[in-house]
Amino acid sequence: MPDLRTAFCGIELDVPLVNGSGTLDALVSGTLGLGAFVTKTVTLHPREGNPPQRIAETPAGMVNSIGLANPGLDRFCEDHLPRLTELGVPLVVSVGGWSREEYAVAVARVAAHPGVAAIELNVSCPNVDTGCISIGTDGAETRALLERCREETDLPLLAKLSPSVADVSAIALAAAAGGAAGLVLVNTVRGMAIDRTTLRPLLGGGGGGLSGPAIKPVALHAVYHASRATGLPVIGMGGVASGQDCLEFLAAGASVIGLGTALFRDPSLPARVTAELDSLLADRGLPAVGDCVRLAHQPLSKPSPQLEGMER
Amino acid sequence: MPPAELAEGYRRLPVVRAEAVGAYTLLVLRNDGGPVGSPGQFFMLRSVPEPAAAYLPRALSAAWADEREIAFLLDVRGPGTGSLVTAGEVELLGPLGTGFDLRPGASLLVGGGIGAAILPWLVRLLDPAPRVVLGFRSERHAVCAALVDPEATVVLDPVVVTEPLARLMPFAGTVYACGPDPMLHAVAALCAEHDVPCQLAMEAAMACGFGACYGCAVRIDGEWKRLCVEGPVLAAERVMAGA
Repeated sequence: MPDLRTAFCGIELDVPLVNGSGTLDALVSGTLGLGAFVTKTVTLHPREGNPPQRIAETPAGMVNSIGLANPGLDRFCEDHLPRLTELGVPLVVSVGGWSREEYAVAVARVAAHPGVAAIELNVSCPNVDTGCISIGTDGAETRALLERCREETDLPLLAKLSPSVADVSAIALAAAAGGAAGLVLVNTVRGMAIDRTTLRPLLGGGGGGLSGPAIKPVALHAVYHASRATGLPVIGMGGVASGQDCLEFLAAGASVIGLGTALFRDPSLPARVTAELDSLLADRGLPAVGDCVRLAHQPLSKPSPQLEGMER
Repeated sequence: MPPAELAEGYRRLPVVRAEAVGAYTLLVLRNDGGPVGSPGQFFMLRSVPEPAAAYLPRALSAAWADEREIAFLLDVRGPGTGSLVTAGEVELLGPLGTGFDLRPGASLLVGGGIGAAILPWLVRLLDPAPRVVLGFRSERHAVCAALVDPEATVVLDPVVVTEPLARLMPFAGTVYACGPDPMLHAVAALCAEHDVPCQLAMEAAMACGFGACYGCAVRIDGEWKRLCVEGPVLAAERVMAGA
């Protein structure tokens, strides 16, 4: 039986699966067999989120415009955090903001609470007008944000990055230079849906973020290049729906896999993906998850069985 | 749904029949003895095999359900609902959310359009038998009224359900309503005016049905809240708060 346990930035996970921030409310549904839980992004002040319609189905995915709906830092720390630290799996708290100082305040407050394993800095939400993604599309801002937050805690800081940038490696390098212990990528790809009847934007927020199988190639590309550029551990996500998808993300450079949109369609997904991953690793004779990580960065040492006999 | 049951995911049920009821379609599944919940709760449904053009499941409340069968009345609008009514098997998650709170005493049911779909189960459970008022946009749409209650008062566009409803006010009992948002708001306002307790079954586009996607935001208690977590059946005051 392959060993599915994984260490990520010093956090021990029984299985290399987490949820993407904002794709599961563990206080409602439990953690469904994930190896760690990532919270929905919390901001300094409460946010109701964007008006409906908030989701639109697209070919092989969906566009969302939720708008960082969250109870705000005070209520999150007083009401949610104590219950989240009792879920029985490592807890990653995702924070967002409109300025360096807002992030720093949130990081300090969250880090002061026992039971938080790591803090994700969401610098990539496409559904707010300012802040957040405007930091994460600028290398210098990203580095300065990490440096500022680094002053507030010794916990691992993870940078959640957008694929909607010209050069994801440059942003990843900036995050690394600022003191990120790991990277989380990708957030959703900027997108839009037009109402087929009214021919006006369908989502209440206008634009939105595309997720689901439609973005898997985009995500693999970002994970591959960010991992290669920085050497940092990566939580890879974007359209993952199977054990085979996990293998591909591991090979691209992720050491932990995030599930998101596919979880909406199937709450038994973590259990199914775990079983598939276990059997795929066994088929390949790989004793542990770690043996698959970054395989795509190495040349094939010998012709694979599938390639034998093919003209090259 | 308890987390342990939710983690088991969708269950697959065979389709017994899918038949036209006027403009709508009745889809009857053979239940495997699994839980069905109560009227107003909902299920997430998708066809087997999944249609390529519909990535997400569809949220539907049952027309009626017991250990032997679960029935849904659908308004087929696109590839998702279309694939459900032609499928041989359907995958289903639920029951989810909070249904109607059945109160003792007299009841008055109000349905608008496909909102009538979830009322037959209520009619079966309520004792004494409820008064039923239904509104539809055409005769074809009104055919399903017979599934709810052959004795129902039925109005057609441009007459709105609040016309016959107003004549029954003040009603000495509970009003249960399902239909489009403007109808629900009008029913809630009328009930508030006469101090009649009222419960509204609301609708929103949902990706998950279990609080994960935050897509089904509805104005509840004066804020955008998740309908799948708070409802889909809500006390009218919660919907009217700040409206």
